[in-house]
Amino acid sequence: MRRGRPLLLLLLAALTLTALDARGGGGFDGVRRVADTAIGPAQAAVSSALGRDPDPDVAALEAEIARLTAELSRSGGLQRRVTELDRLLRLTRAGSYPTVPAQVTGAGSAFGFGATVAIDAGSRDGVREGQTVLDGDGLVGRTVRVGPYTSTVLLLTDPGFSAGARLTREGTVGLARGDGRLLTYELVEGGRVSVGDGLLTTGSDTFVPGVPVGRVTSVRAEPGALVTTAVVEPFVDLASLDLVGVVTEPPRGTPRVPLPLPR
Amino acid sequence: MRRVALGAAVLLTALLLQGALLSRLPGPPDLLLVVVVAFARAEGSGSGAVTGFAAGLLVDLSADHELGRVALAYAVAGHVAGLAQRRERSPLLPLVAAGAAAAVAVTAYALQGFLLGDPRTTVGAWLPAVAATVGWCVVLAVAVVPLVASLVRRLDP
Repeated sequence: MRRGRPLLLLLLAALTLTALDARGGGGFDGVRRVADTAIGPAQAAVSSALGRDPDPDVAALEAEIARLTAELSRSGGLQRRVTELDRLLRLTRAGSYPTVPAQVTGAGSAFGFGATVAIDAGSRDGVREGQTVLDGDGLVGRTVRVGPYTSTVLLLTDPGFSAGARLTREGTVGLARGDGRLLTYELVEGGRVSVGDGLLTTGSDTFVPGVPVGRVTSVRAEPGALVTTAVVEPFVDLASLDLVGVVTEPPRGTPRVPLPLPR
Repeated sequence: MRRVALGAAVLLTALLLQGALLSRLPGPPDLLLVVVVAFARAEGSGSGAVTGFAAGLLVDLSADHELGRVALAYAVAGHVAGLAQRRERSPLLPLVAAGAAAAVAVTAYALQGFLLGDPRTTVGAWLPAVAATVGWCVVLAVAVVPLVASLVRRLDP
């Protein structure tokens, strides 16, 4: 009985903290910022001492390559169609966004639940919550927790991830959601989707439009269902993420696109 | 006082190694949990729970979940790992304790996720998380438990 007493007090303390933090309001933001300021640079120092940090110039160049490749993959045969759709949907032109290079330093969530990674860029580099993260192949995810020196990126396959996306061929707008290992893409009745279709982000006030998301690998169409669901494989190889770019400036204008009404 | 300093030094070293090196490996391995288990084996359940709470708070501060979740998981794990101290000293006992503590920690975290409506901590994700965490924890315990035991002995002969 006596032996269990400190444990009970600790459990009570932990549950109280969790409850207070879950209520929101950001009461612990200050403590988190202090912790990141203390630990972030030390971790970066250990990381570079172990020889894992690339040259800053190389990092910047690789981020540039990532951005240009992302732009290239959007052009090609799809350019005309994309330009047309962009104009139609009043999207801002997917031009050059200011991008901060960042190194993926490890997994971001406890016990390997979910799909997040930690990166070595933070609010001091201009990173804010909800910004687009991409690499040379396409969309990586979105920033969720941002400290002064480090941030956590919610990968596009995380169950908590969702973003507006449209098909490159049909232009139909739907919702891409993380599904653990892959993505699902839901579109309302009447939308047509077939295997091999590509997906691009539609963008929002903080999210960049026109970033390649993935390719449809199978379609689950249940008769009578309001929503057609497609399984999407991301373009990005999430198992070997290394250098990523965080788009630090939101797109100009009002690129928010309403979902089409079912016919 | 010296005991607190030792605990803090070991935990901070583990935290730096975890972030800079271990969290990139598949799994990923959880070095702080192993350190908690090691203190629990060296000093018993009470010390295990307190070390676990402190280590968990360190993890919580730089994680994207609610504060206190890993603190609770590690505290329970530290308590469990410190049990069965007076049994006959089998060399396998610390490893069994490490495995049990890891399973308890992951399960406690997943249960909290269930209560908080965390979309990540699903039943389907629980089993692989337990398998990976238990596996790594047992492997790392082989080296870390004797190391921490010798540090504690040196401090308090």
